[in-house]
Amino acid sequence: MSRHDERHPVIRRNERRSVLRRPARAVLGAVGALALAVGAQAVTTVPAAAAPRPIGQCTTRSGAVLAVDFSDWGGPILRSCGTTPTTGYELLNQGGWRTTGTGHDGPAFICRIGYSGFKGGKQFPTAAQDDCVLTPPATAYWSYWHADPGANTWKYSQLGAMLYKPKPGSVDLWIFGGTNVEGTQGRPTVTPDQLRAHNTRPTGGRAPAPHETKTAKPLPPGTDTGPAPERPAPEHPVPERPVTERPAPKPKPKRTTPPSPSASKKPSPSPSPSTDASPSADADAPKAAAKPSTEVVDAAPAADAAHDSGSYVPAVVTGALVLLVGGAGVHAARRRRRTE
Amino acid sequence: MALRTTAAARSSVSGALPGADERRLPRTLHPLAWWMWALALATAVSRTNNPLLLLLVLAVLGYVIGMRRTEAPWARGFKYYLYLALTVVAIRVVFRAVFASGITPHDHFLFSLPHIPTPDWYAGIRLGGPVSLEALLSAAVDGLRLACMLCCVGAANTLANPKRALRVLPGALYELGVAVTVSISVAPQLVQSVQRVHRARRLRAGRTKGLRALRGIVVPVLEDALERSLRLAAAMDSRGYGRAGRATKASRRLTGGLLLAGMCGLCTGAYGLLDAGTPGFLGLPALAAGAALCVAGLRLGGRRVTRTAYRPDPWRFEEWTVAGCGVVSAVLLFADVGYDAAALNPTLHPLSWPTLPLVPTAAILLAGAAGFLAPPPLPATGATPAPAPRESARRSRKATAK
Repeated sequence: MSRHDERHPVIRRNERRSVLRRPARAVLGAVGALALAVGAQAVTTVPAAAAPRPIGQCTTRSGAVLAVDFSDWGGPILRSCGTTPTTGYELLNQGGWRTTGTGHDGPAFICRIGYSGFKGGKQFPTAAQDDCVLTPPATAYWSYWHADPGANTWKYSQLGAMLYKPKPGSVDLWIFGGTNVEGTQGRPTVTPDQLRAHNTRPTGGRAPAPHETKTAKPLPPGTDTGPAPERPAPEHPVPERPVTERPAPKPKPKRTTPPSPSASKKPSPSPSPSTDASPSADADAPKAAAKPSTEVVDAAPAADAAHDSGSYVPAVVTGALVLLVGGAGVHAARRRRRTE
Repeated sequence: MALRTTAAARSSVSGALPGADERRLPRTLHPLAWWMWALALATAVSRTNNPLLLLLVLAVLGYVIGMRRTEAPWARGFKYYLYLALTVVAIRVVFRAVFASGITPHDHFLFSLPHIPTPDWYAGIRLGGPVSLEALLSAAVDGLRLACMLCCVGAANTLANPKRALRVLPGALYELGVAVTVSISVAPQLVQSVQRVHRARRLRAGRTKGLRALRGIVVPVLEDALERSLRLAAAMDSRGYGRAGRATKASRRLTGGLLLAGMCGLCTGAYGLLDAGTPGFLGLPALAAGAALCVAGLRLGGRRVTRTAYRPDPWRFEEWTVAGCGVVSAVLLFADVGYDAAALNPTLHPLSWPTLPLVPTAAILLAGAAGFLAPPPLPATGATPAPAPRESARRSRKATAK
């Protein structure tokens, strides 16, 4: 073995130089690239296209209604209104709404949802329930449902929130729980008619959104927001079986099916296709009629929940610790060699 | 022996000071202790996404390697694992930028790559488009976690003699052990080969950089690796590995059946534990049954093989402390006691500084205690106590020091 250690002095010097310089060059390059990237940061100031509106501004043929079911955390189904054109993601990130993605999939995968008017803007599920690092399990995630204008059945979204563009007069619903591949389990227990706007013209005055309302900035130029909304959504067969078995990881006392559509708080004046019997209309659902349906509460456009970007002190402390520990290792190795 | 152990225990208190090492008797630690320590640390790393904790793990690895690596050829390879780790981070970042996961209006827009449209039926994947600071940072942190785990395995390969690890396997696993040893010693062997070929090229004043040099290095390295594994196989063959022994056909079949069923049980159990949708009996019960079957199979198979070991590696107090350091740190990171679990996985949307939770930090620093709890390594490789080669080895080591 030791014969490999006999080296020419010139070679040794060369080796030392290259070993020393290569990481240094790499670090310099990385820093330079980062500086360039930050310097190239461009913020466009195009007026916002999508905006949050009071719920009265949504009508049967304008605006998109957003509904989020917080019943797993003892909350109501919150209902908001936003202007179109928009994306499902934008709708869910304006007027006090905020989402968190996963570390693995980025912000496009909705892992947490929060509204500044519900429990102080805390986002659910909490970090203790799901750390949002990897893709959440199919048994507990936010599933995304659409109802087109006039339709009274939910369609499981075939597109992600960033790609889907709600049609004017449509309803977007986010429910937390599990679904199966066939779409027979974990369907919403409310009907689109319970959530959608039924007024044909805006009510509650034409007052615009409050001034402090923060609206999502427009996407940078060149953003692909997916196929055009006019594309007919795939009419995949929606099985109208009752929710017989739900893979419930935890008890959901409030998530019960209402006995009939007439139990909804807002009777539907619009004639909905009668063939589209909502799944909740089946009275033979085993868990049906145990409790009244989760109440629907209107969520007014609000300011974003305060965001604290934290302190940089822990990073500095870590830097000092890394230097201390790493320096101790280098020092010990050198000393060991010297005394050997 | 007892006297020495107590002396080592006493000096381990002041072992943090570099000078304290001279009073301790150098010896190589049991390879399994290093592997347990490193794998436990890798398990701990898998739990967190906090860049501060990950950087701390890298520093701790560097400290322990600086303190306790031997001068064996495989012990000089840690920088190659670092290069591999850097590559992992770079690939992760580039992929996140190219396969854009979307930019949100709250993100910090960095730059935009040319967008390649995909057909409607392929709308789930986007190529190119705007890239945000948050996306790149999350990719970098994700890559850093994988890099840390790679470096943990690299540290085990650097600190422990891979071939000595084979000795501690149960007799029934000897045939499997050969495969395991060959697979875990592939990386150290490659490192060794690269170093040798690189040096040979330099001595012949050949190119050592650039694409042409790469070709000149890769081919001999691959050839060398193949030759070495053939040599290893021949050496093992001549030492009686793969011998059936006194076992009858029936007992061999029984052993094989038990092990196979046990492995199936372990796989099912692991799947049942990880997937929340499977029925309950597929989880822990299947895992326990599989483990029991495996143990029974190993016991049965072990009875037919009797092997002796020449100068077996002892398992003493230091081995317990080193392995314990790693295991305790892994347990602390999975226990969720005394800190907020969210601090282990800080969110990047919106951007905020990560926090440094106290208990995980202490756990990782505790794993670093292995750096002075382990006995100092033997001063030089091989049984060449002659001063001349050692002197030259020291000089050349100085030259390669960073």
